[in-house]
Amino acid sequence: MKPTRALFIVLGALILTWFGQAAVGYWQVGRLDPVLNEETNLTVPPVPSGLAQTGARVFAAEGCLECHSLSVRGPSGSADLTRGWGQRRTVARDYLFREPAMVGFSRVGPDLANIGARMPETEKLMQHLLDPRLLKKHSTCPPHPWLFTKKPAGPKTEPDALKVSPDGWHQLIPTYQAKALVAYLQSLNANYALPEAPLK
Amino acid sequence: MNRDKLPQGSTAALVLILGSLVWSLLGTGLQLLANTQLLVPLLDRLIAAPWFGYGRLVPASQFLLSYGWLGSGLLGVLLILAPRFSGIAFRYGRLLFGGALLWQLAILGGLTQILLEGPSGLIGLPQSRFVSILLIFSFLVLGTGLTRGLGRSWKSGPLLPRLYLLLGLLAFPLGLGTAEALLRGTSAPGSVQIITQVLWHSFHQHLWLAPLGLVLIFQLLPTLTGRAVSSLNLGLLAWVATCLLGGWLGTVRVSDGPIPSWMQSAGVLAAILMGVVALGNGLLVQNLTEGRWEEVRRNVALRFIAVGAWSYASAYVILAFLGLPWIRPVMVFTVAWPAFFEVFHYLFLGSVLAGAIYALLPVSREIGWPDSSALTWHFWCTTLGSVTTASCLLLAGSFQGLALNDPGVPMSTLASYLRPFLFVVIFSQAAWLVGQIAFSAVLFASLLKLFPAAAPMAVFRNPTVIRPASVGHMHG
Repeated sequence: MKPTRALFIVLGALILTWFGQAAVGYWQVGRLDPVLNEETNLTVPPVPSGLAQTGARVFAAEGCLECHSLSVRGPSGSADLTRGWGQRRTVARDYLFREPAMVGFSRVGPDLANIGARMPETEKLMQHLLDPRLLKKHSTCPPHPWLFTKKPAGPKTEPDALKVSPDGWHQLIPTYQAKALVAYLQSLNANYALPEAPLK
Repeated sequence: MNRDKLPQGSTAALVLILGSLVWSLLGTGLQLLANTQLLVPLLDRLIAAPWFGYGRLVPASQFLLSYGWLGSGLLGVLLILAPRFSGIAFRYGRLLFGGALLWQLAILGGLTQILLEGPSGLIGLPQSRFVSILLIFSFLVLGTGLTRGLGRSWKSGPLLPRLYLLLGLLAFPLGLGTAEALLRGTSAPGSVQIITQVLWHSFHQHLWLAPLGLVLIFQLLPTLTGRAVSSLNLGLLAWVATCLLGGWLGTVRVSDGPIPSWMQSAGVLAAILMGVVALGNGLLVQNLTEGRWEEVRRNVALRFIAVGAWSYASAYVILAFLGLPWIRPVMVFTVAWPAFFEVFHYLFLGSVLAGAIYALLPVSREIGWPDSSALTWHFWCTTLGSVTTASCLLLAGSFQGLALNDPGVPMSTLASYLRPFLFVVIFSQAAWLVGQIAFSAVLFASLLKLFPAAAPMAVFRNPTVIRPASVGHMHG
């Protein structure tokens, strides 16, 4: 085999692979648009707030993807829907406004594609971030105390202070990162129907 | 070829090889620490710092192992091998040295960024854009050195290593450059971003690292055994299939979700076909080593490369198994996938890299290896450690997959299923680390000429199988 022919084969194969996946993928799922939800008269998937978009970066930086996935599978061959992780399977349109787009390949912990629907309370999410064992005794999820600042409780409690206190005379105030991360987790709510994925 | 001309690129090679050793120890150490945290959650309560979190240690270790240990090490040994491909010595040794240093700086920068600021969340790209640019730039410098004279001397040696080298050298800059441009240079829609991440992951593992490992197998096994590849046509078929299928293997890891189903089916097909391709290459390896078991037992380099070659076939058979349509939905989110990467990284690429260092460094640096028990420690600790880790993870993945698909099993119970396996994995990884420390000690001692070398080639101490004719092929 001549070197020019080898070069041609390698370049051809690499370009074909890129074209077959990135270009055809863009043509197939990259041009999807939001759709109108007739019940609420709002478009879905909703555009996340700026705070939630910042929270997506905190989610990535804390490495949550090492244990959690962000994709619910359909009923065939999986128990995701039966486990209550969502009301329908996740589809390409759900990722339309995700930046950075993350999917996750590990499930040491539960899937979080719909955590905003399953656990919408800010206080609960904050407590989970502070120490997951406050809510679930045997959780293996690591605590994230650096997302909170500790202040003396004093006569007046800060409005966004957590209801739990480490020692009774300190209060825990969520940092901007904690608030952003909670906003992101609350934005993970796909309980709306899409033409290609109706609710079960 | 005149050896006096060789040291031009050998300093760069040495920097890359020594760097790879350091990153392998650090990367595996971080992985060990992360697994210990999962087993003993009290640990991350004792040291409450973001850089010590499980979510940062795991991507940092993966970055170190793939770019630092394997990337750096494979480029290092190829820099020693390349002048022997072409018969042309490197001219710009300082430039290559600069490229090698830049690669190490990029790894250090990536590690610092992942630990202090956190990973990016992108598959296969935990590092920042700046680190990626450093890696591409450094690779272009080293790659230009590696390809020097390759075309002119195309017919002067075995064809398969040249073909795999060409594939590996083109896939890295093309894949990383376009992935960076699409993911962080433009605002592509989310689902396209995920397709691009998975695509880069495939390029990184199957079109860059694996071909570089195959260069060493198809160059060094024939040299060390004194045999030629039995069927060039089969080898060529496997090479063409690797070029065409390698980039599709990443999609097999995604089940439902953002990637179109036809792409996932293509990934499944590619994984199964790659299993067949790897068995084809395995047949070539079998013919190269058949009847030479005494030499494989005695010669350290040959034994490591043979183990690496067999592990290459095993890794792709495991991948094909994980991709089977009725297995994939069960295993897709489980630790069975880290089992595949254990075989792929540690047993295939790690063993081939170690064997290549044993075979090539004496030629490059005029050093010999001691007849030392550290060689035996290196082989058995690393091989048994990796085999045990992979087996445990595969078994744990099966339990995890079955439990995940049973809605009656709560997630907290599922984590407890993994604990006993994790316990064994930690010990196996520690054993691997002991073996690698033994290797590093021998390598540094040889480089510093701390003890007299008993043999120019590394041989295991075994008086019953001494066959002087079996050593020294590389010096002929």
